[in-house]
Amino acid sequence: MEHKKKIQVKDLDFFYGENQVLYNINLDIPEKKVTALIGPSGCGKSTFLRCLNRMNDLIPGIKVRGKIILDGQDIYDTGVDVVKLRSKVGMVFQKPNPFPKSIFENVAYGFRIKGIKDKDFIDERVKTSLRMAGLWEEVHDRLSSSALGLSGGQQQRLCIARAVAVEPEVLLMDEPASALDPIATKKIEELIYELKKEFTIVIVTHNMQQAARVADYTAFFLMGKLIEFDKTENIFTSPRKKETEDYITGRFG
Amino acid sequence: MYTHLQQEILELRDLVLKMATRVKDALGMTIDAFSKMDANLAQEIIAGDDRINELEVRIDKTCLKLLALEAPVAKDLRFIIGCMRASIDLERMGDETANVAQATIVLSLKPILPFYSRLETMGQRSKTMLEKAIEAFFAPDPDLALNVCKMDCNVNELYSKIIKEIIEYMYNETPAIERSVYCINIARRFERISDLATNIAESAVFISRGINIKHYCQFDNRS
Ligand SMILES: Nc1ncnc2c1ncn2[C@@H]1O[C@H](COP(=O)(O)OP(=O)(O)OP(=O)(O)O)[C@@H](O)[C@H]1O
Ligand SMILES: [Mg+2]
Repeated sequence: MEHKKKIQVKDLDFFYGENQVLYNINLDIPEKKVTALIGPSGCGKSTFLRCLNRMNDLIPGIKVRGKIILDGQDIYDTGVDVVKLRSKVGMVFQKPNPFPKSIFENVAYGFRIKGIKDKDFIDERVKTSLRMAGLWEEVHDRLSSSALGLSGGQQQRLCIARAVAVEPEVLLMDEPASALDPIATKKIEELIYELKKEFTIVIVTHNMQQAARVADYTAFFLMGKLIEFDKTENIFTSPRKKETEDYITGRFG
Repeated sequence: MYTHLQQEILELRDLVLKMATRVKDALGMTIDAFSKMDANLAQEIIAGDDRINELEVRIDKTCLKLLALEAPVAKDLRFIIGCMRASIDLERMGDETANVAQATIVLSLKPILPFYSRLETMGQRSKTMLEKAIEAFFAPDPDLALNVCKMDCNVNELYSKIIKEIIEYMYNETPAIERSVYCINIARRFERISDLATNIAESAVFISRGINIKHYCQFDNRS
């Protein structure tokens, strides 16, 4: 790969109890690029994504083998501060999940839990984050109204603002646009183009065209295995593996 | 079970095959008309060119529709792009056969010149290339396609030789200058047809391997 590696995944196995769902995954995630994870339902995309910021740790009975090296350090090493890790590796979920608080407080949330009090700093970061998320123009005159009054697409961009507010380096997105209409989807996609200037983005999507449009690299998973990983352009014009070709051309099962 | 797109692609394939067959037949008839100096047959070729053009338009429309509506990827995408390219090449070949037919009509009014049979050979070679290119395209067979590309060098050599021969002839036989000029034109058309057959072979490689061998005549690694 010609780009700097932000995350290196080495020989990763993952189990829910006895049930192995990821098998020997090896993958380098390039810095400040968008990497899309595609594959049929249940192939382990979300599980893999959640491994990248140890979100799976919250599930009882899981077992992880292998290494995930972020900026030279294995995030599964004992002594890694998981809270710090998660502020470095932020996450946006499929369904927008704003808190039942004001728009402002949603974005400022990360600073509140860190105990940061500097009002000017927080004001500035909230504004910048809303700008980055492409939401500022739409909400700047109603920052104190409830986030629940926003549309689905706006809520999703709010969650993105919340995720970027704490200045993570990596942004994980699990089907961030699957519940949105084409225009809101387009906005999220445009946003991703912008965000990758500053963040390393890993996105799970079921929308092939979305992967094709936003991702620089694409990884195809099948039944817990990484089948193919390449530049998106290569995956969608001439994949090397028959399984990939069958999947993306819809000739599966 | 076929997906909707696969079904549409099969129909597109049929259209291109039909067009390729028409062009191949037109080329065969052109060579025939030339060798027999048959003006009627030549006339028929010129009249038939419309049916080739018509197919090009249909193929173009179909491809555009599939690209817009189906968002095809991978081999589907490559096949559709390959068909668009091939139909353009085939249409030009159709035009070239009509050009040769036109020249044949003029030549048929006068006695034949000694190098006609050499021109016919050249026409045959370009026809063989077209046949192989079509076969390679629909298989798709990249190795056969590569052979077609190599055959093109052969035709180019033949072309240079014939041109030289005709020019030398013209020095001595001034009354035959007009016919000679027409023959140079015909040689040029057959040479073009081989180039276009080569393009189709290149599209065959693109379809099966996703690589561009234009101007290389060999399988290259992905850049
Ligand atoms: N919390 C869990 N406990 C036990 N098994 C789980 C859990 N979450 C996921 N699995 C199983 O792990 C496998 C991979 O699931 P995962 O959610 O990672 O797939 P996915 O590729 O994200 O699928 P989808 O596209 O449907 O979101 C599935 O077989 C699933 O049933
Ligand atoms: Mg999932």
